[in-house]
Amino acid sequence: MDNRIDNPVMRQEISTDLKLQLLDQIPTPVMAVNRDFEIIYMNQVGAELLGKNRGELIGKHCYNQFHTPHCNNDRCCMRKAMTTGEMVSSRNKIPLSDGDKHIMYYAVPLKDEGGNIVGGLEYIVDISEQVSYEERLQEQSRQMSTPTIKLWDGVLVLPVIGVVDSLRAQLMMESMLNKIVETSAKVILLDIQGVAAVDTAIANHLIKITKATRLMGCECILSGISPAVAQTIIQLGIDMVDSITTKSTLSDGLAEAFRILNMKVQKIT
Amino acid sequence: MSERPGFPTESRTIVISKDTDGGYVISIARMLARKAGFNENDEFLIAAAASELATNIYRYASAGEVAIRIIRDSGNSRAGIELLASDSGPGIENVDLAMQDKYTTKKGSLGSGLPSVKRIMDEFTIYSQIGIGVKIAARKWRQHGQS
Ligand SMILES: Nc1ncnc2c1ncn2[C@@H]1O[C@H](COP(=O)(O)OP(=O)(O)OP(=O)(O)O)[C@@H](O)[C@H]1O
Ligand SMILES: [Mg+2]
Repeated sequence: MDNRIDNPVMRQEISTDLKLQLLDQIPTPVMAVNRDFEIIYMNQVGAELLGKNRGELIGKHCYNQFHTPHCNNDRCCMRKAMTTGEMVSSRNKIPLSDGDKHIMYYAVPLKDEGGNIVGGLEYIVDISEQVSYEERLQEQSRQMSTPTIKLWDGVLVLPVIGVVDSLRAQLMMESMLNKIVETSAKVILLDIQGVAAVDTAIANHLIKITKATRLMGCECILSGISPAVAQTIIQLGIDMVDSITTKSTLSDGLAEAFRILNMKVQKIT
Repeated sequence: MSERPGFPTESRTIVISKDTDGGYVISIARMLARKAGFNENDEFLIAAAASELATNIYRYASAGEVAIRIIRDSGNSRAGIELLASDSGPGIENVDLAMQDKYTTKKGSLGSGLPSVKRIMDEFTIYSQIGIGVKIAARKWRQHGQS
């Protein structure tokens, strides 16, 4: 147990002055406002971010300094923190002369001794590197995410992994249709075993893709229907099963493809 | 709608302003549902519900946010997930109609989004004001015995 905490002398030493000095030392912007969003404290790093003196910021409305998409509207975390009494955080961006700065900001309500909320304290974390990493990753995965592979003579497979948004669905459709023409495939397996979620938009994309391939004379089999996917499709209330051939596993799908092509896999005796 | 019998233990807010933000909502929803102790089926269902809300914001309101939180009920006896969607778009003209299966104002869409969210979640509240926006709160509780 740390009994120094109970030592009244130690407790006294952490004076208000020292606390403010500590806040000044934190290498990330820290700001406090009153209920009217007037700045009552800004640390050095925060003032530097805005390119202003700390003195001239006091008493100014924070939203007139930062001009983010959340400023002076309901999306402001500080406003939410002051109404809910909880810590609220969100991503946001600050428009600066050299472009938008991506940040994560955290707002906590400040309370007086009676527990009344008298303002809020906020600190800002620079996440530009994380954001550009995410963007790069997203771009890379987009480029990698639409491989239509020839599995057998006349049989193609497209494994769907991760999140499907409308742009990706569009790319998937194009990749499949091109490959169908290129290889004269008769069956394509759309395997959704690794999909991150199925919602109405994604289900709708899948239905459209199967319709398009059929128009090109190629049967589309939807495989990799896990129990979770099956249950979700039922909750969505979509009759996918009636219009599309579905199989629970990729190998069941392949067996169906062979059946359609009048082929048989046999053990050599 | 500000009445909250459940209190949050962990929460994330995702700003929706572009097509790909829906994917981010899916990842966060699955992560928090798993953390709250839901099984894989429910994790998948919750992700679908969260994604519907995000898609609607992007489609009809162009900007807003989805907050996802792990909640516990007041007796602290069970955990759940809460989805809060809010936007400052045009609002929904006829909420009763929008809650019906197959009703859509977007050509080619299925019109199953909102009714699905209601089916998937245990509690569902929608509040819409023309010209102000839409707020939706939905909760799903973990069933007893789910480890
Ligand atoms: N946030 C919103 N703001 C304004 N209108 C909305 C909003 N969410 C839904 N709506 C309206 O309600 C209708 C029904 O929504 P719902 O999500 O159930 O179906 P959908 O989005 O049209 O199709 P789906 O979700 O199946 O792709 C929409 O077509 C739209 O007119
Ligand atoms: Mg929808």
